[in-house]
Amino acid sequence: MDIQDPGFWRAGAISTTAVMLVVLVFLTINSLRVIRAGGANVPEYDVINRQISYQYDWTRRMDVPVIGGQQLLFGKLYTEDEARALMEKGKLVIQSRACMDCHTFFGNGAYYAPDLTKAWLDPAWQQIWMPMTGAKTREEAMVMFLMHPERYPTWSREMPNLHLNQTEAQAVVAYLKWMSAVDTNGFPANFGHTQSQQ
Amino acid sequence: MTPYALIYTAVLLGLFVLAGGGYGGFYSVGRLWSNTVLIRAGVACYLVAILLALAICLFTPLAALWKVVIVLSVLIYAAIPPVTWRYLAKLHRTPEESK
Amino acid sequence: MYRSQKLAVRYFVAAVTLFGVMTIAGLLSALYYLHPSLLFNVFNFNMAKIFHIDTLIIWLLMGFMGAVYWFLPQELGREVEGIWLAEILFYVFCAVVAVVSVVFIFVQYGSSNEFSLWFINQGRKYVEAPRWAAIGIVIVVLTFVYNVVATCFKARRMTGILWVLVLDLIPLTLLYLDAFPALTNMSKDLYWWWWLVHMWVEGTWEVLIGCIMAWALMDVMGTSRRIVETWLYIEVMLVLGAGILGIGHHYFWIGTPQYWLSIGGFFSALEPLPLLGMVVHAIYDAGAHHMKTNNRPAFYWILAEAFGNFIGAGVFGFMMTLPQINLFSHGTQWTVSHGHFAFWGAYACGVIAVLYLAKQKISGVEFLDGRAWKWGFGLLNFGMIGMVGGLLIAGIAQAFYERAIGGSTMMAYMAGQENPWFVSGMYARMGFGLIFAAGYIVLVYDLLSSGKRAPKAVVKSQTT
Repeated sequence: MDIQDPGFWRAGAISTTAVMLVVLVFLTINSLRVIRAGGANVPEYDVINRQISYQYDWTRRMDVPVIGGQQLLFGKLYTEDEARALMEKGKLVIQSRACMDCHTFFGNGAYYAPDLTKAWLDPAWQQIWMPMTGAKTREEAMVMFLMHPERYPTWSREMPNLHLNQTEAQAVVAYLKWMSAVDTNGFPANFGHTQSQQ
Repeated sequence: MTPYALIYTAVLLGLFVLAGGGYGGFYSVGRLWSNTVLIRAGVACYLVAILLALAICLFTPLAALWKVVIVLSVLIYAAIPPVTWRYLAKLHRTPEESK
Repeated sequence: MYRSQKLAVRYFVAAVTLFGVMTIAGLLSALYYLHPSLLFNVFNFNMAKIFHIDTLIIWLLMGFMGAVYWFLPQELGREVEGIWLAEILFYVFCAVVAVVSVVFIFVQYGSSNEFSLWFINQGRKYVEAPRWAAIGIVIVVLTFVYNVVATCFKARRMTGILWVLVLDLIPLTLLYLDAFPALTNMSKDLYWWWWLVHMWVEGTWEVLIGCIMAWALMDVMGTSRRIVETWLYIEVMLVLGAGILGIGHHYFWIGTPQYWLSIGGFFSALEPLPLLGMVVHAIYDAGAHHMKTNNRPAFYWILAEAFGNFIGAGVFGFMMTLPQINLFSHGTQWTVSHGHFAFWGAYACGVIAVLYLAKQKISGVEFLDGRAWKWGFGLLNFGMIGMVGGLLIAGIAQAFYERAIGGSTMMAYMAGQENPWFVSGMYARMGFGLIFAAGYIVLVYDLLSSGKRAPKAVVKSQTT
């Protein structure tokens, strides 16, 4: 075993890479099972018919999504197929408008606009946009904002008008509701709870 | 983790690796120029890395397993510059084949 | 010069041009933070950012391809096989980039349908280019791979560096296939997207730049093949040994199982170790040849590569990689500071070194030095360090005020963005970005200026 022989390190490079790749493949198989819609961490798309909250779990020592009882979205109960179609539409909207190049999803994307992981649960909808828009529900306020953000500004850095129609805006809102129910190992932390600096 | 703990933990972690880098850099240049002052500066950086590792273990709220990783890292850091240097010297001393 | 090397020069010109576009787009993106109403609803931040990050990827890719087209005929002592096809496809590549850019500027986005994904904007970070363009890039890259493999075949020999390169190009190409799907499930989308992004910039690209640096070291410092190859294998072993499962540091928060926190954090924590070895190696190589080099700018950019990689990827990465920290730093300007410094150190410096290598050969100057390159080197590196410093301050402020204290809501986000520390960081980033841009202009001036301006008659004392 001559460590000055390139062949020794070549063998090391090949075997190390191979072992790591095999481990990654196994972990991938398991992870894909967990993250499919309906898997352990990611709910089925018809979770949009349920109430979603985000609460601290003392056994896991992190915030986790909690799926509650029935909660209509846009006054409607969606079938599995309708929910799936809505999600597909929502994701297409998000991609076609390049939302990820201003916002983040699960913290991934661009940092010019807020993270949208728990946007569905954000208190600002009830506190600010529902009064501003006059909407009776959170989802209606969200749709009104998305369709005409210029009418409801709250900040000098405004959301641009990306010409979403009503169907598209509703699909995005539904998508955000589904996303808020994904178990993200506690990201973002302390959502909605402010802490003292100490 | 409190907000302040977040900041000082992250800064300690960054400084820890930087100290390791200082050790590698000063030690290598010191060996290159046969300059004992620089080699000692490198060792001093390594001592700083040890102190930083200690601080991380004692004062940060990281879980025990991560502190073990830090301790193992600081042990490995000790070896990287001298072992790498010795190995490169040996490699260069062996008769070189033409390109 | 071989035809392949002439093609390499064309790729270098295209790469440097896109480096300029990237810089302008970066300055524009930075300006929005300071003047949010800038070009509002005319050309929004997301489009500027798309230009900034997509040109980053493409200029580096073009730099890598140029470097391979440059070194390959020297390596095997023969012209590259199928070079006529590569020459045509270079222009196709440029045309694709141009058309996509025009559509990004004037159309920007479409409706939520497949047509938009095929012809306008796919909206997935780094791979926003529409599918038709992605197909074009696949064809260009496949031709590139064919050029390399066929040349080795026809030459009837392989070197260690070429084996590593060829084996690396296969996953590099295959991973790009993730530029096509539009999965509904965001967790799944991001899971595979990170196979493309991480396994490129923290995997196959590391190996690729390793091969290029191996050739560059042989050229610039006269290091022997046996030594660069041995080092290349060690590098591959360590970088992939840590980097393959280091992908887990992107799997903390996207819905994946909790074990990724431990696995990803651990392997990611190992990633700085090989980078420290590279710093030692760079210093050793510099000294082993008594700092003798006939190409001082290339030499110094290679050193910058080793140090920049260690600090940008190693130090800055380690600061934020442990899950307990990352929970708060994820998706903040802290990430941006690390990303800029890591890309700069790991790749940009290396490509610039190759540009100077090519410049020397083209101008036929025996000893390349001068004043301009030093100004370019200084301004670019000083500008970059200042930018990432500003971003680091802003990012730490963001993690502290928006995340740890504020609870990460939209209002907390806004408050964080208005925080004086954050705003100062944004101004600092802008200022240093202008310095960086000035450095770019000097770099271009120096690369374009005749090599005869270097004092070739005076062989200076070659010790530092």
